[in-house]
Amino acid sequence: MIRRGLMVVVALLLFASALGLVTAQHRTRSLFVDLERAQQEARQLDVDYERLTIDQARLAQPAAVERAAVKLGFRAVEPGHTVYLNLPEASAAAPLAPGARK
Amino acid sequence: MKSPARAAERGTGAARGGSERAGSRSSGGTRRERTAAAANPLLTVALPAWRSKLLLFTLFVAFVALGGRAFYLMGGVSTQFLQRQGEARYARTLEIPATRGRVTDRNGVVLASSVPARAVWAIPEDVETNAAQLAQLAKLLDLNVADLRRRLAEDKSFVYLRRQVDVEVAERIAALKIAGIHSSREFKRHYPEGPTSAHVVGFTNVEDRGQEGIELAYESQLAGRSGSRRVIKDRLGRIVDDVWLREPGDGRDLALSIDSRVQYIAFSALKAAVDKHNAKAGAALVLDVHTGEVLALANWPTFDPNLRGRLSGDAIRNRVITDTFEPGSTMKPFAVAAAMDLGKVRPDTRIQTAPGRMTIGDRTIGDAHPHGVLTVEEVVAKSSNIGTAKIALELPAQALWDSYTAFGFGQAPRLGFPGAVAGRLRPAKSWRPIEQATISYGHGVSVTLMQLARAYSVLARDGEMVPLTLTRVDAPPPAVRVLSPETARAMRRMLEMAVAEGGTAPAARIAGYRVAGKTGTARKIRNGQYVREYVSSFVGFAPVSDPRVVIAVMIDEPSSDLYYGGLVAAPAFAQIAAASLRTLQVAPDGPLEEPKSLLALRQPASAAPLLQAVPPQ
Repeated sequence: MIRRGLMVVVALLLFASALGLVTAQHRTRSLFVDLERAQQEARQLDVDYERLTIDQARLAQPAAVERAAVKLGFRAVEPGHTVYLNLPEASAAAPLAPGARK
Repeated sequence: MKSPARAAERGTGAARGGSERAGSRSSGGTRRERTAAAANPLLTVALPAWRSKLLLFTLFVAFVALGGRAFYLMGGVSTQFLQRQGEARYARTLEIPATRGRVTDRNGVVLASSVPARAVWAIPEDVETNAAQLAQLAKLLDLNVADLRRRLAEDKSFVYLRRQVDVEVAERIAALKIAGIHSSREFKRHYPEGPTSAHVVGFTNVEDRGQEGIELAYESQLAGRSGSRRVIKDRLGRIVDDVWLREPGDGRDLALSIDSRVQYIAFSALKAAVDKHNAKAGAALVLDVHTGEVLALANWPTFDPNLRGRLSGDAIRNRVITDTFEPGSTMKPFAVAAAMDLGKVRPDTRIQTAPGRMTIGDRTIGDAHPHGVLTVEEVVAKSSNIGTAKIALELPAQALWDSYTAFGFGQAPRLGFPGAVAGRLRPAKSWRPIEQATISYGHGVSVTLMQLARAYSVLARDGEMVPLTLTRVDAPPPAVRVLSPETARAMRRMLEMAVAEGGTAPAARIAGYRVAGKTGTARKIRNGQYVREYVSSFVGFAPVSDPRVVIAVMIDEPSSDLYYGGLVAAPAFAQIAAASLRTLQVAPDGPLEEPKSLLALRQPASAAPLLQAVPPQ
C-alpha cells in the first residue's frame, strides 16, 4: 500500500519535472531569441554610429569649414595681427608652442 | 489469410471431378450444393498445405526485414544521413561578415570607413513586374527604365542591377515585392575627405579589397576575416540556439601620419598654383622634420574615390611617390654639402663663375646671368650652375655618388607604399666630368618629390636622416647621420639666403617665420631631347631657427609665361608654410609684419639670377 502511494508520488514528481523541463527549455529559447534581437540591435547601432562618424567627418572636413568661414566673412589668423604672449620661464626661444606636438 | 477451415469448406463444395477426394475429407453438404459447386471447376482444386505456410513465412521475413531496417536507420548503425537531412531543416550556418578597418588621420578624423550596403540583383526569367513597378524600381536604383528593361531582358540566369546600394534603398526595393529581384549584403567604403586625400588613402574595389594607396599597402591589416556560426532556427525562422561559433576578425583601424588640416592646406594651395599657371599637374608634400611623418601629400589632378566609375588612370597616379623628374637646382645644396663635409670648401670659399660659361669636354654649361666671383654661400643663394659644377668637380666621383646615395637619391624610400620608385642615379664609374657637373645641378639625374623632401629633411635636422612614414609614429625613429651638424647648419643659412631679397625665391617668404629653401626649374626630356616644357619646384623648411616642417612643391608644365620655380612653386610653398605652421601651433621666429617688398619681388623682373638648364648640344 505504502509502496503504491510512493509510486504515485514519484510518478507525479516525474510528471512535474517533465513539465518543468519543457517550460525551462521554452524559456531558454525565448530568452535566446531576445538576446539575439538585442545583439542585432547592437550591431545596427554600431552601423549607425559608423555612418554618423562618416557624416561628421564629411561635414567637418576643412573644405566645408572654409566655405562656411568665407560665407561668414571670417579671416585666417596671421602672425601680423596676432598677439603672442610668452610664458615667463618657458622663454620666447622655446621653439614650439605648448601643445604644438601631440 | 485463408484459414484451413475455410479451405476445407471449399473443398467440401468441390465439383464432380474431384468429388471422391473432397467427399472423403468432408462428408458435409447437401446434394444440391455439390451440384452448384460443380459448376465452377476452380473451386474444386485442393491447395497443398505448404503454400499457406510459405506465405506465413514470407510475411514473417518481411516483418523482420522492416524491423531490421528500422533498427539500421534509428539504432545507430547508419544515422548520419538522416540526421544530416533532419538538421538541414532546422540548422543553418550563417556567415558573420567582418568590417574593414577604418583609416583615420593622425588626430582620429575618419578618412575611410565601411558601412553595410546591399547588392541588388535579379534572376531575369523569374521577374514578373508591371510598368509602374518597373518605373519605381528604376527610380530607386537610379537607372533609366529602358536600361533596366534591357538588363532584365538579358539571357542570363543572374544579373546585378546595382551594387553598393544603401540599405534603406534596398529595403524600399524589397518592399515593392517584385518577384525575381533579390539583394545580398556587402560593404561600401566611404571617403569623407574625398579628393583631398585620395592619393594617400587610395581606394578599394567593389569587393571591399584595397586597390591603391594605403588601402592596398595595408590590405592585410585593414581587411577583416569573416566568421561563421551554426544556429538552430524555429519554425518562425527565429534563432533559438547556437551550435558553434567562429568569431569574425574585424579589420584593424589604421592611423595615418597625415594631418587632414595640413593636407587640405597643401591641397588647396597646390590646386590654386596649378590653376593660376595653367599647369598640367602638380604635387606637394609636407613632412614632419622630427619624426619623418608625412603630414600632407597632395596631387593634382585628383579624383573622388567615392565615385568609383570615374577612376581613370592618369588622375589616380601618386606623383609624389611614383613620378620622377629632373630636379634642377633643388639638387644643388647636396653637392655643396658633400664638398663642405669633406672639407673641400667652406661657406666663405670664393669661386670664380665669370664669364658665366664653362666648357667641360665638348660641352658648355652656363648661368642665366654671369655672377663673377661668388662665395660658396652665394653660389647656393644665387643658384649658380657654374659655381656648383666647380664645387662638384673638386670631389672624386665616387665620393659625390656616396653622398647622394646617403641622401637617399637612387633608392626607393621604404614607405611600404605601392609604386614607390627609386629615381635614376647612374653609378659613379660611368660618370664623365660633364655628367658629374650637370648632376650637381640636377640634370642627368631623376628623383621623386618624396626623395627630395627626405634629403632636405637631413639639412633641416642637423644632418640626420629618419625614415619617412605614412602611418602615425609614437616614438621618434632611429636616425642615421649623413652630414655633420655644422655642415647642416651652414646649409640652412645658405638656403635662408636663397629666399632673402637678392636670392632666387623671395616669394617663398612668409610673415612671422624664417623660411629657407631652394627653387628648381628644369626642362623636361621627351624622346631624349630637352623640350621647352618645364618642371618648377621648390623645396624648403621652416622655421629656420628650429625646423619643424619640410615642404616640397612641384608644378609640372606651367604653361603661362612664368615657369621659374621661384615664381611658380615658391608662392605655393609660402602659402602652405604659413597656414600649416599656424595650424601646427609653431611659435613664430621671424618678423611678424608681412615683408613690404614681397609684392614687388613677386614681379618677374626682379626675380634675379635664376638658373637655366642647358640642353645637350
